Amino acid sequence: MTLYFGDILPYLPVMLEALWVSIYVTLISFAAGGVLGIFIYLAKASRFRSLKLISNGYIEVIRNTPLLVQLYLIYFGLGSIGINFNPLWSVLIGMTLNNSAYTAEIFRAGISAVPKGLREAGTALGMPFHQTFRYVILKPGIRNVLPALTNQFIVLFLFSSIGSVIALGELTSTLQNLNSQTLRTLEIFSVGALLYFLTSAAIAVASRITERLAFRW
Amino acid sequence: MIITVEGLHKSFGKLEVLKGIDCEVSVGEVLCVIGPSGSGKSTFLRCLNFLESFTEGQVTIGGHNLTGPKTNLNAVRRDVGMVFQGFNVFPHMKVIDNIMLAPMKVGKVSRTEARTRGMALLEKVGLTNKADVYPSTLSGGQMQRVAIARALAMEPTVMLFDEPTSALDPETVGDVLDVMKTLAEEGMTMVVVTHEMGFAREVADRVLFMDAGVIVEEGTPAQIFESPQHVRTQTFLSKLL
Ligand SMILES: Nc1ncnc2c1ncn2[C@@H]1O[C@H](COP(=O)(O)OP(=O)(O)OP(=O)(O)O)[C@@H](O)[C@H]1O
Ligand SMILES: [Mg+2]
Repeated sequence: MTLYFGDILPYLPVMLEALWVSIYVTLISFAAGGVLGIFIYLAKASRFRSLKLISNGYIEVIRNTPLLVQLYLIYFGLGSIGINFNPLWSVLIGMTLNNSAYTAEIFRAGISAVPKGLREAGTALGMPFHQTFRYVILKPGIRNVLPALTNQFIVLFLFSSIGSVIALGELTSTLQNLNSQTLRTLEIFSVGALLYFLTSAAIAVASRITERLAFRW
Repeated sequence: MIITVEGLHKSFGKLEVLKGIDCEVSVGEVLCVIGPSGSGKSTFLRCLNFLESFTEGQVTIGGHNLTGPKTNLNAVRRDVGMVFQGFNVFPHMKVIDNIMLAPMKVGKVSRTEARTRGMALLEKVGLTNKADVYPSTLSGGQMQRVAIARALAMEPTVMLFDEPTSALDPETVGDVLDVMKTLAEEGMTMVVVTHEMGFAREVADRVLFMDAGVIVEEGTPAQIFESPQHVRTQTFLSKLL
């Protein structure tokens, strides 16, 4: 067989629109999951045993079950007991929860990688812990987590393709539809893959630039 | 007495690191602490500003009992400067900001005032031209002098030094020791853990030899270095020569 991209050219705007759905689903769940992740990290790092236990349990359960199954639980599982979310909300909730567990771990690793001596220097200067955290630990900590967060963002973006199992209308499900319309399977999916790849690459480059600009020390 | 230590015991789990330390430091005195690796020198020093909690005993600094019920540890620490072996300068702040941070945040000093003071301190440690660079561009000796200036910015009454020159290239050790000498001459109360016997001999008012968590011997530099009484002191010093 010969490859022919001419047939699918008219569908490019549809694909780009679907790509945008993938991107904004990722953006929202990354932001919401990030905020949730901060609280889970704080709970885990706190002095309270029960908080530690709950946050640890949450992190372990989320990280050791497939995102696909989590999505099924939210969409079909909750649906079966009368709690109905549409595909968009289901995906947003699933990806947010999933992301929060991973980012909580990223925050923990990044903050604990800040040299202990810096905290001690802050303490020795007479700064209470909240000041030491804010002025001494936070920035080096953010610098530590940025590469891992970028990675997590890209993984999350690629994971948004699971929206296709409940017909979210993001890029992958749109590719499936176009495939059944045009039967140009190889062309459709290779263009789709290229769109995923280019977006991920752009995110990675943007992150590197941010790193350069924001952390000049 | 500006520092009083009575019956200080400290354990890490089952390991007893300090086994009853008694010691006093008077205002303006320079006390050097020497002893073999692992003898508990750093731990002792870190107990003095409660970076390390202790198991038993009393530490009083400037009239404040560190473990007293009403003691505000952060307030006590503001009067006790500390300089670490590993510098611990804040990498994400320019040199001058390293020095201005604590005065502004805990000392409630205005930015302009903090900067003026910071520049004066940089002059004192010979780094005026480094005010607006990030620490990563400095040599070890320069970083340590920044760390000293940063501690001095809180106008402490006591300075603690934990092997301030041990991590330095030999050629930069002298600059740091010179700054410390000047401080001593100005009358700063200093407790210095050090392996620099030349410095201890020249600058210390009193030398304290620690081994295995106890103070084995103390005296003037002449007493300790010329005629050590204890076998463990003699063995330690003979190994250094
Ligand atoms: N945080 C810690 N947890 C457990 N053990 C520790 C800790 N800090 C120090 N120790 C142990 O306490 C003992 C005394 O350590 P310390 O650092 O006070 O010795 P030192 O005299 O300063 O040695 P050096 O000359 O090598 O710096 C050592 O056996 C060390 O392993
Ligand atoms: Mg030590």
